Amino acid sequence: MTIPSSMYVHRLLDEAFAGIEMSPDRQDLKEEMRANLVARAAELDAAGVAPQAAARQAVDELGDVRGAIDGIEPDPTAAGWSQHRVRPDPVFLVRTVLGSALAATGLAVLVLAGTALDVPIAAQLAAVLAVALAAGAVTADALRQETTANHPMPTGRAVGYGIATVLGVAGAGAGWLYLQDAGLPWIVGGALVVVASAALFAYLGATQTNRHKEWVVRLQASHAEVGDRFTRDPAAAARFGMYTVTTWLVVLAAFVVLTLSVGWAWSWLAVVGGFVAMAIMIARMVFPEHR
Amino acid sequence: MIGNGRDVGSTGVDVLAADLLRGHTDTIVLGLLRRADSYGFEIFKRIRDATGGRHEIKEATLYATYRRLMKDGLIEAYWGDESQGGRRKYYRITDAGRAVYRRNVAAWTATRDIIDVLLDLDERTGTHDGRRSS
Repeated sequence: MTIPSSMYVHRLLDEAFAGIEMSPDRQDLKEEMRANLVARAAELDAAGVAPQAAARQAVDELGDVRGAIDGIEPDPTAAGWSQHRVRPDPVFLVRTVLGSALAATGLAVLVLAGTALDVPIAAQLAAVLAVALAAGAVTADALRQETTANHPMPTGRAVGYGIATVLGVAGAGAGWLYLQDAGLPWIVGGALVVVASAALFAYLGATQTNRHKEWVVRLQASHAEVGDRFTRDPAAAARFGMYTVTTWLVVLAAFVVLTLSVGWAWSWLAVVGGFVAMAIMIARMVFPEHR
Repeated sequence: MIGNGRDVGSTGVDVLAADLLRGHTDTIVLGLLRRADSYGFEIFKRIRDATGGRHEIKEATLYATYRRLMKDGLIEAYWGDESQGGRRKYYRITDAGRAVYRRNVAAWTATRDIIDVLLDLDERTGTHDGRRSS
């Protein structure tokens, strides 16, 4: 599936702003640049330039963004960020509510068919289709939306996820129809459809690229650093291994001694003590006081 | 800025023209916004196309210009509806901006006339003082 030049613009713009301390005003400028770059890339696109090359040329023409942000002070306050959060599109919310209502109605019909009412098999089939199509449409629609943390997914890929969802739910629905005495072909067909769904999900998942926004990536990196002591300090990892072995040897010895002296009723306390010691040790080693 | 001495080629002329243009970026942007609100790339494109692509004002320069004009209250910004590539930031000229535009155009016209006269001075006065160079 072809990736539009705008997706490359998002990535290149994030790269251009990497390492720049952000503030509401700088974010404002970045969003302004984004729309202008997308317009320029679309112009080059129309002139026959390949999407990726068009995006690259548009960003190159922009020049160094550090020059453009000169004079805008960084001010990364929480209040500032909240001004730039991406609000959900009202029309999208309406579509999602309607789709969910359709799916809920279909599910209600199926539950009633399985418990209280005698619903004809054709109506149950219609209910399964309604649930599957609604689930697929809501999934694809949601993935197409830009969020505060993620860029929107390209339409083709979002539709792919939608189709995989439709197939998965429809396959499960075929299994349900089989349980409602619809005949053997339903379970066989349902199983095949579920396999197709799994294959499509696997393909989409394996070819998925990161669409997180730059500030989210940096936030994640800074959070990852907190619990990353063993990678940065192999000696600490070795110490941790030796402490662990010693602790559990002591626990084992205490368990045996307690079992032989005061009996089973109390010897399990040694194991509890071992877990407590391990938890404290992990906390102190991974999150040292002086960082 | 012009090539020194023997060869005043097209590069030297271009550099001079670009420097002159840069000095009037504010007025050029105000002039473009007089008729209709516009956003960054459209402004950039209209400047580029109006000169047949011979001169363009760098986008980074334009971003600084918008900030300066907004700070001075000559233009104001608003975000347009979400398009496929994100929201466009539109600029609208204010009454103060229109006044400054008219004043700058009048100043430029007066300056241009004076410069035309001064650059042609030798031509006009050469016959009187007899010091015309060959």
